[in-house]
Amino acid sequence: MKGFGAIYRRELAGLFLAPLAWVLFFLVLLYQAYFFLLVLDTKGGEVNGSLAFVLGGGTPFWLLTLFLPPLLTMRMISEESRSGLLEFLLTAPVADAAVVSGKALAAATFLALVWASAFLFGALTALLGAPPDWGLVFAAWLGASLVSALFSALGLVSSALFSTPLLAAFMAILVNIALFALPFLARSWRGTGGAVLARALEYTDVLGHYQGSFLSGALDSAHCAFFLAWTAAALFLAVRVVESRRWLG
Amino acid sequence: MITVQHLTRRFGPRLAVDDVSFHLERGEVVGFLGPNGAGKTTTMRVLTGFLPPSAGTVEVGGHDVLRDSLAVRERIGYLPESVPLYREHRVQEMLVFQGRLRGLARAEAKRRAGLVLERVGLSERARSLIGRLSKGQRQRVGLAVALLPDPEVLVLDEPTSGLDPLQRIEVRRLIQELARERTVLLSSHILPEIEAVCPRVIILQRGRLAADGTQTELLARLGGGNFVRLELAAGPDGATPDAAALALVRARIAALPDVTSVEARGGEGDFAAFEVRGQGALAEGLGRLAQREGWAVRELSTQRPTLEGLFARIALELEPARPDPAQPEGSLEGAA
Ligand SMILES: Nc1ncnc2c1ncn2[C@@H]1O[C@H](COP(=O)(O)OP(=O)(O)OP(=O)(O)O)[C@@H](O)[C@H]1O
Ligand SMILES: [Mg+2]
Repeated sequence: MKGFGAIYRRELAGLFLAPLAWVLFFLVLLYQAYFFLLVLDTKGGEVNGSLAFVLGGGTPFWLLTLFLPPLLTMRMISEESRSGLLEFLLTAPVADAAVVSGKALAAATFLALVWASAFLFGALTALLGAPPDWGLVFAAWLGASLVSALFSALGLVSSALFSTPLLAAFMAILVNIALFALPFLARSWRGTGGAVLARALEYTDVLGHYQGSFLSGALDSAHCAFFLAWTAAALFLAVRVVESRRWLG
Repeated sequence: MITVQHLTRRFGPRLAVDDVSFHLERGEVVGFLGPNGAGKTTTMRVLTGFLPPSAGTVEVGGHDVLRDSLAVRERIGYLPESVPLYREHRVQEMLVFQGRLRGLARAEAKRRAGLVLERVGLSERARSLIGRLSKGQRQRVGLAVALLPDPEVLVLDEPTSGLDPLQRIEVRRLIQELARERTVLLSSHILPEIEAVCPRVIILQRGRLAADGTQTELLARLGGGNFVRLELAAGPDGATPDAAALALVRARIAALPDVTSVEARGGEGDFAAFEVRGQGALAEGLGRLAQREGWAVRELSTQRPTLEGLFARIALELEPARPDPAQPEGSLEGAA
């Protein structure tokens, strides 16, 4: 896709040129390190379990994943629409899809770099004589990154829909929470006759699919495809919203 | 190069552009005028593929702006009114990004960046953060961004707003230079600038085409072309001319054979001024009349109508805007 690479690099550079991104980056690093050490301590030095915990096994990870992508993507369309930069991008000879997916991938890359802190923790424990199962860490990291990509794409939809970054972030966080909580609802309905609904909700089961696969260290391509398909659907939606913005003006 | 046919653009119930048609030949430089809110920016946004038209068609270089949007956008260098730039980036980075968006290799983009920065006189600020530049400097970076891909068509929305007088002249010169090989549509509220740069002007008023033609054509149709300004001293005692005396003088002027209209242009205390329109050697006739009547003439001069005058007449709706697709080129719609 023409222009995709240029937009991706520009957005990524833009993230790292903003002080907010660096502040987030280091806060999250501290946050992750804290929980890693905490769990390592309570699990009596079990490295693999502790790394899996900070990459999706535990609630602290999910807390971050529900909030970080919206914060990174909230300005990407809503604010650029105000500043006129969207006019610049949308009058360049590149497809709307290239603009939207370049932005989404930049946010996802940023988060993938944040989650890569787990490699650092693993390397440190390896230095101290307790090497982790690198395959497992990598699978967990990939899973964390895929979830982040999906939430980034959803964040972009929200940023395209709402005119202020704050509102966009707020709505995206609500959507993320709903997506996160739906499987729990599905499970609670399973017994009470709403079988069809429960099955439908099963397909939205981000957490279930995620935990079922990546945390066990098995790279299941079907599960990768699950995330990629959902991400693509969200990106498609974002492109349509951007397009409708053109019509509305 | 640019063909706009019956372009209409609505924003909800508001009609921003209403059935506008015009055509720009390759290499033409056209000034786009109109009071605030006339629809200039909206028209340009449709031309550049940012906004789709509500009705009508726009073609650039033979490509339809809706069906073949990317091909149109490839041909256009656009300076939006808001001069969008990434403030956290350096000037050079912004330009290279623009080049990369257009599919240039990095080295080529850098080379072009150097060239266009020189053209807009900002070579020494290539490494400055855009957020740290002054408004006029940013305006010139915006122009450099539009020029970078070396486009066939330039659409410039108020390119000289915020520039100091010297820079304005520089940019004017730059546009004249660019115009030699390119089609340029440029909007501005600075009429002398349009007068100097654009042989042809298109004037919008409330979303409608109010005038389209070369300056000479349009001005010639305006109020019968030239008029004569006559200024008389009120009297030997410097008294304020009374209404009766003024009416008398006016009647005398109106009685001249070639005169079609006389407008009193007021006076400040000790003089009275008139704008006289008509055919033939008006100034000579007025001179002889003044001699016969023994008026003390302070000024007797032939005035050419200006774009400013035309603009004012259209903006004040003295020239009713009425879109009429059957109008020939160079028409002052409604007045013709
Ligand atoms: N995005 C929008 N949403 C709603 N109305 C709009 C929008 N953009 C423009 N308009 C309306 O369309 C009309 C034309 O606006 P436009 O910006 O094209 O004027 P303009 O000729 O460029 O004026 P100016 O000289 O002030 O730049 C105005 O009445 C404006 O309120
Ligand atoms: Mg405007």
